[in-house]
Amino acid sequence: MLEVRNLTKIFPNGTVALRDVSFTVAEGEFLAVIGLSGSGKSTLLRCINRLIEPTSGQVIWNGIDITAASPRELRRIRRQIGMIFQQFNLVRRSSVLTNVLSGRLGYANPWMSLFHYFPPEDHQRALTALERVGIADKVHSRADQLSGGQQQRVGIARALMQEPKLILADEPVASLDPVLAHSILQYLEQLNREEGITVICSLHFLDLVHRYATRVIGLKDGRLVFEGHPKELTRERFKEVYGEEAEMVTVGGISL
Amino acid sequence: MSHPKEHSGNNPLQQWSPLFSLVVPGLGQILQGQRSRGLGLLATVLALGGLILWQGVPLLFVPLAAVWLWGVWDAARALRNRPSGTVAPFLLAAFIAYALGVRATEMDFRRLLTGWPAIRPIVRALVRPELLEYPKESHIGYLPFQVPCIDPLPPPQGRASEQPRLSTDVPCAALGETITLDGEGFLPGLDVEIWWQNPIGDYQRVLKDGVPLVVPADSEGRFRVTIQVPPTSVPLDRRPGPGETQTHRIEARQYRPYGSLQPTETLRLVLQKIGETIALAFIATVLATVFALPVSFLAARNLMGGHPVGLAVYYGVRTILNIVRSIETLMWAIIFAVWVGLGPFDGTLALLLHSIAALGKLYSEAIEGIDPGPIEAVRATGANWAQTVVYAVIPQFMPSFLAFTLYRWDINLRMSTVIGLVSNAGLGFLIIQWIRLSRYNSMATAIIAIVLVVALLDYASAALRERIIAGTAGGPKRGALRRYGVPAVAVALFLALFAWSWRVAEIDLPALVEGAPAGLRITRAFLFPDLLTRPTEEVRIAAPLVVPCGAAPEPGASAPAEGPRVALSLSCGAPGDPLVITGEGLPPNADVSVRWRLPDGGFLRVKENCCRTDGAGNLRLETRVHPLMEVKEGAVGEVEISWKRVVGGYRPSEALIITVNLSLVTLLMALMATTLGSVFAIPLSFLGASNVMGRGPVGRAVYFTARTVFNLWRSVEPMILAVICASWVGLGPFAGVLALALNNIPNLAKLFSEAIEEIDPGPVEAVTATGANPLQVLVYAVLPQLVPRFLAYILYQWDINIRMSTVIGFVGGGGIGQQFRVWVGLDQYAAAGTATWAIVAMVWGMDYVSAKARERLI
Ligand SMILES: Nc1ncnc2c1ncn2[C@@H]1O[C@H](COP(=O)(O)OP(=O)(O)OP(=O)(O)O)[C@@H](O)[C@H]1O
Ligand SMILES: [Mg+2]
Repeated sequence: MLEVRNLTKIFPNGTVALRDVSFTVAEGEFLAVIGLSGSGKSTLLRCINRLIEPTSGQVIWNGIDITAASPRELRRIRRQIGMIFQQFNLVRRSSVLTNVLSGRLGYANPWMSLFHYFPPEDHQRALTALERVGIADKVHSRADQLSGGQQQRVGIARALMQEPKLILADEPVASLDPVLAHSILQYLEQLNREEGITVICSLHFLDLVHRYATRVIGLKDGRLVFEGHPKELTRERFKEVYGEEAEMVTVGGISL
Repeated sequence: MSHPKEHSGNNPLQQWSPLFSLVVPGLGQILQGQRSRGLGLLATVLALGGLILWQGVPLLFVPLAAVWLWGVWDAARALRNRPSGTVAPFLLAAFIAYALGVRATEMDFRRLLTGWPAIRPIVRALVRPELLEYPKESHIGYLPFQVPCIDPLPPPQGRASEQPRLSTDVPCAALGETITLDGEGFLPGLDVEIWWQNPIGDYQRVLKDGVPLVVPADSEGRFRVTIQVPPTSVPLDRRPGPGETQTHRIEARQYRPYGSLQPTETLRLVLQKIGETIALAFIATVLATVFALPVSFLAARNLMGGHPVGLAVYYGVRTILNIVRSIETLMWAIIFAVWVGLGPFDGTLALLLHSIAALGKLYSEAIEGIDPGPIEAVRATGANWAQTVVYAVIPQFMPSFLAFTLYRWDINLRMSTVIGLVSNAGLGFLIIQWIRLSRYNSMATAIIAIVLVVALLDYASAALRERIIAGTAGGPKRGALRRYGVPAVAVALFLALFAWSWRVAEIDLPALVEGAPAGLRITRAFLFPDLLTRPTEEVRIAAPLVVPCGAAPEPGASAPAEGPRVALSLSCGAPGDPLVITGEGLPPNADVSVRWRLPDGGFLRVKENCCRTDGAGNLRLETRVHPLMEVKEGAVGEVEISWKRVVGGYRPSEALIITVNLSLVTLLMALMATTLGSVFAIPLSFLGASNVMGRGPVGRAVYFTARTVFNLWRSVEPMILAVICASWVGLGPFAGVLALALNNIPNLAKLFSEAIEEIDPGPVEAVTATGANPLQVLVYAVLPQLVPRFLAYILYQWDINIRMSTVIGFVGGGGIGQQFRVWVGLDQYAAAGTATWAIVAMVWGMDYVSAKARERLI
């Protein structure tokens, strides 16, 4: 169980990205985070694994206070939390295999890994992960030779290598077309259902939220303004999160 | 890295591929379908093997054998589909290359220490340039001095000064000997500089421990000092013959300042030469633009491609442009000096020619990049040819045209600051002159001037470039005055600047015509370089001639009945008697030499510019008996005909062997310099990367300091560094390597900093999020982004270094340039031509290799 208590983040330039945010995520949930651009979704996700250092507040995961962990402990925690990014964040010049294997760095022998040595089991694991996301044939391609959807699947495979108990996905489908978006989210859903991995995922499209999430939180100007079941997210509540001007515009069958 | 083909083992040959790799390195890999890997291995082993043999270090065959065996192991592993990394053989090959490089470029870092005293005054002078000074009243004593001693010693030429007075313990000495110098009647308490004037009239400071000697006069105006007769004061070819002596002159000078501060003569000269430098760059750029435009039409494929003749012209012009471009400006300056003599005109021609070639190529590429779409569109509106050009062609061509011209102006300005190192023009000339006179403070002033001029104009043209790129927006309508007045003033300024530059650059078209014979000679020699020779032996035949008759018994005719023979119309005679010399059976249509072999053993040509045999191998020459042929102590003179007979086949000429040897040295110089530069640039580059230094005040300060230092340091041309390094570690390739490396450090550091700043933070974040430690993040997220870009920059620098290392020898940096200058100086133009072609080949080859390598990196 993940518990976020009174999380606040003030950037050095004075921007308040999160104000006193508290919520809990039960194990096995698929939590969607919604909110306008700049509302603090990315900041929230990054505060959970401390890619961004919170200003105050606590993140407690299965009884461990992540916010108080030493660097060493933090790395042990991070290796159990997979992360998926909007821009995929692959090392473009490295091969797909190297990118996927880098998901194993938290487990690997720190010295051997510097020479790109990984035990055979890890290679096997990488192949399995790539097979799972359907791009096993691309192992030896360079990451930048792949299409956007394929790159995001490499990103998922990299997260899978961590054998994560929690996956943080920051707008994993915002750079992809609607069809690809569904296929990527289906992978996440599958992981969530079959392996019981908790997923926290920021999303922009309301229909994707309805289709995949088991619970939703909404952020506005860094404040938590909604928490509940996707079904409770009505047109009115949606307006609350996205501001009065926002309409639920439907473009090509996808509601925005 | 390529990966083995899937089904290895199907082909029976492949089973044995490791064995093939044992016989010929790389063969096994080729058989397995890994062609580039195999060929790379083969080329590496062959090239390194050749280099090892050339340098004669058999011990290095051990690591080479290891590379070879690695090939066998690799082939064996590939059979089992297990690709192996190439790090080990790469490191081994690099070790061999660097070991050879250190040897060939005579790198010896101890010389950095031992040479320090020689360069210390230069470094110290750099912080004390001569800008302002008090006018000085001079007080000079002088004394003639004879070198070397002979017996009897003739009276010296020239007088000694009366007041002040100098005397030496000995009236004469040999070069390098130590003498004691006494002075009296000098200004009490003031420093005395000791100068030496050689018989040709050149002055130099007398040094002690590598530092110019200064002694204070005591309270009575006397001093005593031991000095060494400067060992290098007379050039080798001006030294006296045996039994001769030359009069030198020792001078002791005092300067007493008076009055108020004034600009130094140095400063005035420097300012004047800055003008000359700018004028040279300006006129060369303007003229080059004018000439390059028509040339670029001929070199543009889209204009010339339609027709076979056009295509031939296109390829011809392209090739010529490429050849001209690969010969550095400074080299052209040396070549043109033969044609029009040293001076600003020589420098201008060199800048001009190289610029025409470079701009011609750039412009033609701009023309090739013109989009035919807008042209079609404008034409479709019914516009005529001129309208089409004005509305569709020029707007497309103009931005690149301006950018390229400006870029060339930058290069020309940098070049014209150093062109004086080889021709008497611009700031560079002052540096060369002053370093010879050990006037380090003056030299420092000139160096600082160069750095400032280059840095300032760099800055100015960067600003101008930005404005050009931003473009001048239409803006509100301007008044008539601004519409016509501003351009009119600009044109007037331009014309005035042009006229002034024309005069300063001493453009002297008649000199081009007058020097044409020399120019043609050097051109011809370059077109037919000295590549092959056939060994020859000299054949001589002779007939005796007794002068006068009866002075000695006439030797019996011993000429053979067959083969070549000399016959004389007289067998004896008095000096001045008419004599007919005939030769028979000589090689037909050959140059032969006909000489008097004098009784005292000397030789004299019978006639200048003589002689050539006819088609049948006969020769007839009418002359008179030479007075020196008179019999001396019973010895009889002879008339001799000699010629060269070819024995054996063609072999490489001496010039070719030297050229190949020095070309390899030059390549290794570039390699060593690039490596040294990179090694130092990498750590420095982090200081100049804003994302590494952070936003804190200290970080910002370090960042700005680093960037400023890089930029100023970059403005010190490698040629100037070479001048300094040559006095530091001595003439030779090491000085060149050092100079290039010192120039590469800020260059690469700046480029590397920019690469670091452009690191994508995404992957860094992603890898951190997996729980990797900072070192792992560096290896998996940062280095993969940096290494290819660093390598690309290093390759780019290596390309530039190859070009620079061909000319760095002009100022003592070793390599092929040094030899080229010697050959031109000795009028051995054919040998110089050989070196030039080698340089062209080297530059092209390396351009090609690094272009290929860069392609693979991106
Ligand atoms: N490094 C930073 N320094 C200063 N301000 C920041 C920084 N990162 C984010 N912010 C600010 O914090 C606020 C929240 O940003 P955040 O990236 O979390 O929003 P988001 O909801 O993810 O938006 P988007 O949907 O556009 O990704 C924004 O106002 C942003 O400008
Ligand atoms: Mg975001």
